Amino acid sequence: MRRTSSEKILAFGMMVLSAVSLLLGAGAAWRGFTPWIVWLVGGCLGGMCGLAAGWLLWRNFCQDQAALRSLNYLAELTTEGSSGQEALARFPSGPHKDAFFAALRKVAEAVSRLRERCQEADHLRTRQEVRLRRMQSEYQQMNTILSGLADPMLALNEYGELVWVNPSAEVLLVRREKQDRPPAAEVIECPKLVELLQTMTQRKTTGTRCEDIEWTDPAGKTHYYRAVVTKLGAGSEHPDSTALSVVAVLRDIGDQKALQKRHAEFVSSVSHEMKTPLAGIKAYVELLADGEVDDPETQQEFFRTIAGQVERLQRLVENLLNLARIEAGVVQVRKQAQSLNEILEEALRVTQPAAEGKQIRLEADLSPLYLNVYVDRDMLLQTAINLLSNAVKYTPSGGQVVLRSRLEDRYAQFEVEDTGVGLSEEDCRRVFEKFYRVQKDANMASGTGLGLPLAKHIVEDVHGGSLTVQSKLGEGSVFRVRLPLLARHWDNEAGGSATDSDLAPAASS
Amino acid sequence: MPKRLLLCDDEIAILRAAEFKLKKAGYEVHIASDGQAGWELIQRLRPDMVITDCQMPRMNGLELVQRIRSEPSLQNLPVVMLTAKGFELRPEELAQKWNVLAVVAKPFSPRELLQMVDRILGAAAEGAAVGPIPAETSYPESAGPRPDLASFSSAWDGQPL
Repeated sequence: MRRTSSEKILAFGMMVLSAVSLLLGAGAAWRGFTPWIVWLVGGCLGGMCGLAAGWLLWRNFCQDQAALRSLNYLAELTTEGSSGQEALARFPSGPHKDAFFAALRKVAEAVSRLRERCQEADHLRTRQEVRLRRMQSEYQQMNTILSGLADPMLALNEYGELVWVNPSAEVLLVRREKQDRPPAAEVIECPKLVELLQTMTQRKTTGTRCEDIEWTDPAGKTHYYRAVVTKLGAGSEHPDSTALSVVAVLRDIGDQKALQKRHAEFVSSVSHEMKTPLAGIKAYVELLADGEVDDPETQQEFFRTIAGQVERLQRLVENLLNLARIEAGVVQVRKQAQSLNEILEEALRVTQPAAEGKQIRLEADLSPLYLNVYVDRDMLLQTAINLLSNAVKYTPSGGQVVLRSRLEDRYAQFEVEDTGVGLSEEDCRRVFEKFYRVQKDANMASGTGLGLPLAKHIVEDVHGGSLTVQSKLGEGSVFRVRLPLLARHWDNEAGGSATDSDLAPAASS
Repeated sequence: MPKRLLLCDDEIAILRAAEFKLKKAGYEVHIASDGQAGWELIQRLRPDMVITDCQMPRMNGLELVQRIRSEPSLQNLPVVMLTAKGFELRPEELAQKWNVLAVVAKPFSPRELLQMVDRILGAAAEGAAVGPIPAETSYPESAGPRPDLASFSSAWDGQPL
């Protein structure tokens, strides 16, 4: 480039020189300057200078042309789809061809390398985009999972500021204006958690600490959490206020605590129930062993009492085991299509003697319909006997117990109604609790306080029905069992709400 | 004149056993099957000592003790409680608050119950102040081997472990 421009300056200089020489020659001729040799020399000098300038300009022009052409070739060469060879073949032969070709090859190589790199970069970008999208969706997923997690989660940076919480953790926070990174100590309500988080934030080494936290929220509800707090490594060398330092996951262990408490209460009541007959046995055995009882009749009486207490203990253990067996699912439930009425009739037969012994009228008012239920016969029979014998137990002599069955809105229903002592509202609520015995009636009959819980479990958990009680103190009680009818039956009823009131003789098959 | 005792328990078998033992030892024994009946007997008979169960219909043992202590003339009536409860009761608290001399865990030995009655009434006869009975006799369960409950956080015998 510099060379061509200097050549152009030279050519321009030559042209000026030739013009000056020609002007000098012409001027000399015009003034009649005689020695013609001066004209000749001036003219020749001017002509030569003109020629030199012309040659220089031509050369320059050719070079420019060649450069232009080369560029065109180059352009053609680099245009996708054109064959470089073809373009090269059209290049006019000349002094520049070889050198140009060499240069051109280099350029072509460079261009193709560049093109390859471009393609690579394109490829890379596509891949990165795919990865980015995948990461975004993964992030979304993680966020959804963490947000949906029932366990509260909190993350703090090393300055003890709250960087992230999931929605479950918001119960722990003071409701206030959204702040970007509030200090944990200011927004977390539970002081024990704040203390734990602070300890962990200030800790220098990584590690995890697990602590149980009891916290009563402002509404007065007590929460139990097992907090697992992890101190993360320093991570990067450039501390950043968004970098996580401490992550806490809180598991709600309230249910577990309640379960533990219920279990302890259960064990306590079992032991209480067992200690009472044991106390009798121990006392009488000691009296007899110490030879305190001389009178043979009293001795016999004491032996009978001991036997009675042993029986009571045995019954209690039996009932407990039954309950545990059924609750644990150890007992195989053998459900079959059964006639509810048939089971109830059997239960009546079993309880009849006890009722007669107490001069209680035991009446049956069974549905004329065939109540088809899908049940475990033994379990349901046990339940019916249990309810009937309870009714007999807690009804004074001369009273009445009625067993009814009927079809009621897709359910087979039976109820045991007595004219007994009845239950208070509180007793009605609690009568299905294990070991709950109505205090005032405890002396009317012996019982373990496990019969009704067992019946409820059989009806509700094993058979998907319901067992409820309605009672009025001093007037009597009604225990009602509802069992789902076997589907076949009510499908024939065209899904209508068939009840016993619209008795169809055809339906009783 | 024999000392007069009142026994309160809703379990007739236990009542009969204790009554038999104490009567044989020469005490005059009256029985009641619930707290309310017990309270009526206390007012009527003015017994020298009351032995009552905790869980009873109508009026439970604790209510009966509270009723007794609310009566100025019965402040020093010796009271012993029988219980089949596990760990809900705190004998120290009962002793401190209601001056219950001892809490006897069921199943109990009639022989030991008699010894305790003898000691309490003997001490009372000598005019000595009747203080709470030492823990071994008052609550036999706590003298027995304790289960290894290192991991158990509940209270046992009323004392946190």
